[in-house]
Amino acid sequence: MGVSLTGTHVIFFIASVIIASAVSGVFMAVVSDVSSSLSERGERLQEQLDVDFKVINDNENIPDIGGYYYFYMKNIGRGSLITTNETFQLFSDGELISKLNYYFSDSSIKNGEVATICVLNFEIAPGDHTLRVVGPQATEDEFEFTI
Amino acid sequence: MGFSVAAAAAIIVVSVLISVEIMVGSVIPNVEDFNYQFVDLKERAVEQIQTDINITTVDITAYGLNYNHSITIENSGSICLNTSDFVILINGTNQEFSCSVSYLYAMKSAYFNVSNLPGDGPMRLKAITGNGISDIYEYII
Repeated sequence: MGVSLTGTHVIFFIASVIIASAVSGVFMAVVSDVSSSLSERGERLQEQLDVDFKVINDNENIPDIGGYYYFYMKNIGRGSLITTNETFQLFSDGELISKLNYYFSDSSIKNGEVATICVLNFEIAPGDHTLRVVGPQATEDEFEFTI
Repeated sequence: MGFSVAAAAAIIVVSVLISVEIMVGSVIPNVEDFNYQFVDLKERAVEQIQTDINITTVDITAYGLNYNHSITIENSGSICLNTSDFVILINGTNQEFSCSVSYLYAMKSAYFNVSNLPGDGPMRLKAITGNGISDIYEYII
């Protein structure tokens, strides 16, 4: 009777330790995932705060050179910007411009530098337009102009 | 039975402490970095509000068949501007320029020279500072 009571206690003890360990393991795994997601989110937010750019063209004089309209984009944020048609999307009057129809003069620009966005001129008809430039972390700038 | 509960509670308390340590260890540096970036963003916004320029005159001198444009820009804001960060657009096209000074202090003027530029008639000049503040000036050659 005494042996079986001790055995029961030992079984309860082992079971409780196993359950507590399992609960702790799951809890720590969840906390670790949340913590790593928070870190990533924090890094993205920091990048978002760092990125800032502006289209600086003269609204009434968009250069048309060699079949391309030239738009000047100035990096007014902190750090460098990777300027490719993969990292930046262009919208003319809300319509996405195919990435085959524009390119950047430089692949990256530092703070204060200017990159030229060359857009094939058949993408933009004469008249008043809005160009929306969407960059890393969905940062964007809108520019109204007349061709 | 009481010992089992105590052991389980001890294991869970230790795991909670470790989890809190993991959380604090990764979140606090992030919050610090985020705070730094946010202060930086605020400073940039304040600088933009305090920046203003005014194109006061443009003097034209003939240079062969072309023209030299001497542009006087006044810093009418309250912060110092780096002249190498300026962009000068004449009739929409980005132009190379030289400047008389490296820094344009508040309430002071500087000369920006664009040399050997072809073309005459109506001209539209846009000057943009390093932080994107601009002014436009129209003149005729």
